[in-house]
This record gives sequence, structure tokens and C-alpha cells, in this order.
Amino acid sequence: MNLAIKDIRFNLARFALTALGIGFLLMGAIGAIGLYRGIVADALLVIDHIGADLWVVQGERVGPFAEGSSISSTMDRRVEGVEGIASVRRFVQFSQQFSFAGKVRRATITGLDYPRDDGAWFELKAGRHLEASHFEAIADDSVGLPLGATIRLAKDDYRIVGLTHGLVDSAGDGLLFVSINDATAIASRRPSEQVLLARETSGNAAPQGDGASPSSVPQDSKIAAVLVGLAPGADVARIKAAILAWGDTNVLSSAEQRDLLLNQRLWRLRLQILAFASVLLLVTAIVISLIIYMLTMEKLHQIALLKLLGARNSAIVAMILQQAGLIGLFGFGLAMLLSHLTFPNFPRRIVMLPQDLGIFFAILCVICLVASWFGIAQALKVRAQEVLS
Amino acid sequence: MTGAPLLSVRNAARHYQSGETVVRALDGASLEAHAGELIGIMGPSGSGKSTLLLICGLLEPPSAGEIYIRDRLVSYPGADLDKLRGFRRDHIGFVFQKANLIPFLTATENVSIALEIADVEARAARGYATQLLGALDLGHRIDNRPSRLSGGEQQRVAVARALANDPPLILADEPTAALDSVRGRQVMELFRRIAVERSACVMVVTHDPRSLDLFDRVIELSDGRILSEPSQPVQAHP
Repeated sequence: MNLAIKDIRFNLARFALTALGIGFLLMGAIGAIGLYRGIVADALLVIDHIGADLWVVQGERVGPFAEGSSISSTMDRRVEGVEGIASVRRFVQFSQQFSFAGKVRRATITGLDYPRDDGAWFELKAGRHLEASHFEAIADDSVGLPLGATIRLAKDDYRIVGLTHGLVDSAGDGLLFVSINDATAIASRRPSEQVLLARETSGNAAPQGDGASPSSVPQDSKIAAVLVGLAPGADVARIKAAILAWGDTNVLSSAEQRDLLLNQRLWRLRLQILAFASVLLLVTAIVISLIIYMLTMEKLHQIALLKLLGARNSAIVAMILQQAGLIGLFGFGLAMLLSHLTFPNFPRRIVMLPQDLGIFFAILCVICLVASWFGIAQALKVRAQEVLS
Repeated sequence: MTGAPLLSVRNAARHYQSGETVVRALDGASLEAHAGELIGIMGPSGSGKSTLLLICGLLEPPSAGEIYIRDRLVSYPGADLDKLRGFRRDHIGFVFQKANLIPFLTATENVSIALEIADVEARAARGYATQLLGALDLGHRIDNRPSRLSGGEQQRVAVARALANDPPLILADEPTAALDSVRGRQVMELFRRIAVERSACVMVVTHDPRSLDLFDRVIELSDGRILSEPSQPVQAHP
């Protein structure tokens, strides 16, 4: 006769509520770790998928993710001339707010160096990649734009030709891909007043020596970085040295970009989330321990009776362990179920890695064992005659 | 009674230290009990009845004296009674004022648990438990949990549980105290039947004088001492 299961079936509602409570606690801890994993995954999404070996950025800076970077939009031509480089692409990324359907939307505009890069490095959920160098956009579904929608960015209208899923930046804003020329145009949009003031300043300036009519507004558009693809067998150190020798540029590998993003830009956030996850796990451990301990304490009279009837200690220990194990198991199962049902609806990506879940399960087993051990220690101290008390 | 005693209590004492005072709960009690006997243990509150039962049931060791069951010395001052759990399971059945049934088990399960603890196979244990309950007129209650049973029915389930391992010695501590006179009488008659039919020795601590006629003999205790133990049965029983 399995006393643990008999007791659970008798007190099914209490067991279910206990397991549900533990499930919610575990779900919170899994969610905190999942949020941490999600932020890291989101942050590294572009770096890991864009397929660049080197990032050429503004000199004396480590942009574009850890800090700002602004280089000439023609820098790619200079980089392309370095021996050992197979491909170059220009890259720019910035946050933008705009209105659609009467609501303010946020997106991270990411420039694709069309036609060299039409966005084939990311998967589409619907629609197609860029097929024109202007006024087409691919939006992540988190931005909330339907396929075929037209949005106004700066002074131009863009049609959504493709949709992605799960492509966001480290802040969780969905990516909106446009051609790099469109991106720089959107980024360099100036209000009329600024243009007038610039003309005023320009009008007072001395005329240029070559006699050309100067623009009233600076025309040098900027990009954030040039993405470099290396030829097979290329000497990376030599290429980096050659680019650094120009003085106005810095060059970083993808690994360095990852390191900068995770350990410079996001380290406080990561630490904070990990600290919250640790606190949640500690609270979970204490609550589970208390629940199992209290359940055992409630049974001391019955345990005394079992001893009176001659039950071996092993039978009593098995009953306590089985009940703790079942509570833990059902709690974990409910946590998994709740997590899978609710996390996809959260605004940020929650990543549940099998190894994290394995560690959670192992920790839960240890918690149940330790809590049971306290209960068992009390149960074994009970004397049979206490059934009379 | 003739033959070797089933239970022999020799000069048993149980003293407790309470501050500066030594409480003599039992003070040099000796008795012998034989198979087939129904023995009443009576006396005022605090006279040592329950202490005697605890010592006979191997639930407390005596401060002095010895306890023999079937000529085997089983308890003495300082004895490790936890090691006698198996012996107790096979030789002694207990019935208390409260039935002490496990609330999440049915009547059958409350009885069969005693057998399963003794390594009887589950199906056989349930079968025998059902049979025992039937013999105690609880055949219609076998699947009921304690909360669905009356006080008298609960006590009969407790008696069935005490009988499950067919112990030669049954100790009952005021088993009828929580029952009305009719139910109380029924339980006492049940003990009488058990003593006769199973040749078990049943010792019952009771305050209820209405059951005196059922006992083979009555042991009276006062201040931890046995006052009287009639050599002849109170009333002859077949």
C-alpha cells in the first residue's frame, strides 16, 4: 500500500494547490533565468547571424553596440581594397519612433546594404526579402505592422514586403530592415528650421575656392560600421593592422563585439536579472522546504501509529520521500506547463534552455531531499506511545 | 489458569522525576496473564493503569523490574524498545480510547496496513482484513473512510486492526470511554469473544463497572501498586 499516494488522493485539492504554488514559484525562477537568456540571445542576434568576420568602426571607438560609431558611407570602398577581404557590407542601426494606425510604434531601423545584402541571412515569417533599393521594408512582427502596410519614415513612405519573427535588439525593440541608403536618409532627416539656420550660417561663410555652389546642409551621410567577410586563409592580424593604420578607424572581430555587448553594455542588466533569479530560487527553496516539512509534521501522529503497528523506519522514510518527490515532480510539471503557456505572451523573449531546466530539476530534487531530511529526522524521533497524546 | 503465563510482569516500577519530586507512576507491580484470559485493570485516575499497559505493551521500559512474554525477557530498565518494534508487531495488539485510524485509508486499508507492515502480500492482506471486518459486523463498511464511521464502528475497526496479526496479547486502554453504554458493552463482548475464540490474552484498562461480569479477573491499582488480584475469575466463562 502506498501511503503517500493514498494521502495525496485523500487531500487532492490541497496537494493540487501546493503543487500549483510550487509551480508558480518555479515558473518565476525559470522565467527570470529565461529572461536573462532571452536578453543575451536578443543582444547577440544580429552579431551571430549577420555573418561578419570583422567590424570596421569609428576610430578610437568600440561601436556600434557598446558605444556610438559614425564613419563615412563610402568607407566600404576603402576597406574593400585591403588584401584578403572577400566582401564588405555597410551597416547602420538606430531606434526610431513613428505612427501607424493611430498608434506610436517603436522599431530599430537596420540598414541592409542592398543589393549586396537583401536580408537573406535572416528567416522570413511571411513575404519576401528586399527587391528594390528604396522604399521597401521588412519588419519584425513585434513592431505590429501587417504585410503590405505602408508607413511613413522621415519624408518617405515605405511598404512592408516581409515579416520576421523574433528579430529584436538588446532592448527588445523589433528590427525594421530597409536599404542602407534609406536608413541613412531616415537618420539624417532634419526639420525645416534646422535647414534654414544652416543656410543662414552658410550664407555668412566665405565662398569655396573651386567656385562650386556649396550645399547649405552637410551632405556627408554616415554609417555605423562596415561588415567584413574574409577570404579563405586570410591573415586576420595583417588585415586588422592595415585598417588600424589608417587612424580614423577601429576594427573588431565578431567575438570582440559579443564580449563588448555582453560584458560592457549589458553586464549590469545581466547581473541584476541573475540576482533576481537567485533570490527567487532561494525563496522557492525555502517555501518548498517549509511545505514538505509542515506536511511531515502534520503526520507525526500517524507516523507514531505506524511505529506502534511495527512499521520499519524504511517504510516511514519512503512515505515522506515519495510525498516530497511527488510534490516536487508535479510542481515542476506545472511550472513547465505554465511557462510554455504564458511565456510566449510576454513582451520580452524568455528562453528556456534544456540545460537550464535540467539544472532547475536537479536543484528541485536537492531541495526536496533536504526538506525531506528535516522531516524524516523529526519523524524518526517520534515514539510509538505518542499516538496516545 | 494453568500453564506458562503469556505475560509476566515482575516487580515492575516506573518512576518519573518531576522537579524535586519523584512520581511513582508504578511501584513494584507484579502479575501474570495467560492465553484466553480477559483481564480488567481498574483503579482511580493516576493509579498507574495506563503506565502498566505501556510497560506491558513495550512502549515504555520499566524503571525497575522485568517484563517477560512467553518466557522471554523483553523489557527491563534501559531496554531499547525501538528494537522490539518487530516483536511488538507480532505479539501485541493495541486498542485505545480513540480509534486512531488513519483518516485517508478505508476501513479495510486501516486493518490491512497492519498486515502489510508485517510483509503480508497486499491482496492477501486486504482479503483477511475484509474477513476480519465482516466478523466484527462491519462487512458493509469496508470501503468507508473513518470520517464516515460512527464512534463504535471506528473502535471495531481499531479492534480488527489489533487482531490483524493474530497477536497473543491484546492491550486496550479505556476502549469504551468514548462510546455509549450499548456500544461500550458490544466492544467488551467482542473482547470476550476474542479471548475465547482466539485464545488471546486481553487486558483492558477501564473505569466502567458495567463490564465487570465479562472479565475473568480484575486487577485493581492504587498509587502505582496492585491492591487486589482475585485468584478466581469474577465470573466463569465458557
